[in-house]
Amino acid sequence: MAEVRLDGLIKYYDDVLAVDDVNLTIKDGDFVALLGPSGCGKTTTLNLIAGLIDLSDGEIWIGDRDVTDLDPKDRDIAMVFQNYALYPTKTVYNNLAFPLQMRKTPKNAIDERVRKTAEMLSITHLLDRLPRELSGGQQQRVALGRALVRNPRAFLMDEPLSNLDAKLRVQMRAELKRFHQTLNATMIYVTHDQLEAMTMADNIAVMSDGRVQQYGPPEEIFYDPANLFVAGFIGSPAMNFLHGEISTENGVTSVKGDPGWVYPLTPANAQKASHCTSGRIIIGARPANLILSREEHPGMIPGSVYTVEPTGDTTFVHITIGDQIYVAITDPFFRAEPDDPIWVDLEDDRIHIFDEATEEVLREDGLNSQSIHGKKTLQPA
Amino acid sequence: MAVSAPQQATGQVATRNRREPKNVFQRAYRQWADYTYIMPALLAMFFVIAYPIAYTIYLSFYSTPTAGENVWNGLTNYTSIITAERFWMITQNTMYWTIVSTILAFIIGTAAALVAQREFIGRGLVRGIFLIPWVISHVATAYIWVWIFHSDYGLVSGMLMDLGIISSPLVILDSTTWAMPALILVNVWKDFPFIMIMMLAGLQTVPEHLLRAAKIDGASTWAQFRHVTLPHLKGVIIITLLLTIVMNLNHFTLPWIMTGGGPASSTHIWITEVYALAFRSLRFGIASAFSVILFIIMMSMAYFYVKAMTAGDDRRR
Ligand SMILES: Nc1ncnc2c1ncn2[C@@H]1O[C@H](COP(=O)(O)OP(=O)(O)OP(=O)(O)O)[C@@H](O)[C@H]1O
Ligand SMILES: [Mg+2]
Repeated sequence: MAEVRLDGLIKYYDDVLAVDDVNLTIKDGDFVALLGPSGCGKTTTLNLIAGLIDLSDGEIWIGDRDVTDLDPKDRDIAMVFQNYALYPTKTVYNNLAFPLQMRKTPKNAIDERVRKTAEMLSITHLLDRLPRELSGGQQQRVALGRALVRNPRAFLMDEPLSNLDAKLRVQMRAELKRFHQTLNATMIYVTHDQLEAMTMADNIAVMSDGRVQQYGPPEEIFYDPANLFVAGFIGSPAMNFLHGEISTENGVTSVKGDPGWVYPLTPANAQKASHCTSGRIIIGARPANLILSREEHPGMIPGSVYTVEPTGDTTFVHITIGDQIYVAITDPFFRAEPDDPIWVDLEDDRIHIFDEATEEVLREDGLNSQSIHGKKTLQPA
Repeated sequence: MAVSAPQQATGQVATRNRREPKNVFQRAYRQWADYTYIMPALLAMFFVIAYPIAYTIYLSFYSTPTAGENVWNGLTNYTSIITAERFWMITQNTMYWTIVSTILAFIIGTAAALVAQREFIGRGLVRGIFLIPWVISHVATAYIWVWIFHSDYGLVSGMLMDLGIISSPLVILDSTTWAMPALILVNVWKDFPFIMIMMLAGLQTVPEHLLRAAKIDGASTWAQFRHVTLPHLKGVIIITLLLTIVMNLNHFTLPWIMTGGGPASSTHIWITEVYALAFRSLRFGIASAFSVILFIIMMSMAYFYVKAMTAGDDRRR
């Protein structure tokens, strides 16, 4: 296993800039998820690492080797494809054996490896079947097996679970995580499913528009988003964003919301807001950090109930403030009628302050260490 | 009552159609719409094909003197064809012509497809040039090559003489040894674009992700071809081979125009022989019997063709 380093990767498809200056170091033995919405360049990045497509600029290092100009077969990586890409005319056994045969492994060693891998994945009874005689989940295992059968320097996986049903996905997620832990393998895992990324990865690289927006452990991505995109992309239901203007009266800094509300900031949050250059900020508050009240209290934001969705464990309350709808998570027994007046308070030490102009998070010390501008190789924190 | 009504409805749907058909008639009935669509074609084929076939089979049991009534003579036409040494000589010619033409055209056509599929500057031009033999009509092709091979005025003979490689004009189409190879050469030249097109079409459908998987798994270019491309093309290859074999077995224009079966019948193949028997010697009975024999051979090829075309259908059902 080895460290993988991406240095200023750029990929143009004709005029389309698919990957825009990606710098990442994936530590030896790390499970890194490339997470982002559809079309953000995850697959392209993975294919660049694999050597399946040519890059426009940048360097790729695997371990202490510069593999930028090497063929895929010389990079010593294994890959699991979204649609499995099993060889349709080969039996499961031969699918697993193929990467070893291509590397001129002796026959009995191949047999041993194939059987061991099949056992690990519980597919021994399927070895004589053709891929089309397997269920989706079984094909997925075989595809995984074809990667695990070798000892590559890194595993690349492109949404390997996306074709499975919800239940199987949860099960395979746990299995994958176990494999990673037992093999101590370097894995780069592409997904657009934040739950997969959050549950499995040691570090997550959140991508958007071909750029890495933030790179760090799941907790950091969730609790300390670097910018508006990461804040809005991670978490379900999504974070609420309240836009407003900063104003200071009698030494108290408040945010004047667009539809006429005023929300006073704590000294710590005021300190963050003081770094704002444009005078307008966005307050980011996760649904769980909204506190609802039926009575008016000073410093709360007035709104009205839009609808109430009980989900069992919790209840989602949609609230209209001005012309925007926000979501709060409340206790499971909260009930209200549409258009009931309601007041919203925020958990002040859990909210995030963003500069409306730059969409970057504002911190107390004014520094945003995770801001990804400039050519700098990101090390996970 | 309110509850039982929808139950009845679902029950009807279940009994109407979702059960495996018990026999071929039930299955045919279920597919009546499909049969309706092909009915016009079937009717047309009946009149232009079935009737002539029936008449040919009828004639094959008769002696057909040029003057007078047809006379029933049972299987005599058949036995006289099969027992004649000439039939086996011509069968040998036909096999030679068909097998060598097919193999050469297949190899060259496939190679051309692999070249034409690669991305390089001028690919469109190369593809266009490769297609030229295919778009020239058979008759024109035949006459062009007759002139190229002509011993006194021909390109081949003339060039070799000019270069001093040979001293006397080269006899090609009038040589019992060289006439057939020359015909085969022209046939291959004419047919390889067809195979190229078929193989190109097949090559376009090779799944990119399988090639990528093979690359990752360490396969060389040859191994990718051998383990991904070739298995994927198996169906196309079988069908192309069968079509080419049938095309060659039935090929009339080139041999008839270029050599007319000669010299000394060395380029006569089944189909030219049938034509000569019928329309030169006017021996319609014998020619009909010969046709029926060919018909049986061709239909057995068609059986394999249909089998190859519908391979895998049962699995899907
Ligand atoms: N072969 C190609 N030619 C041209 N543009 C491409 C090609 N492949 C991808 N793109 C473009 O590059 C961008 C990134 O595509 P990519 O496949 O990497 O996205 P992705 O993040 O993997 O998305 P998804 O989650 O939908 O798989 C997209 O805008 C896409 O349209
Ligand atoms: Mg993708």
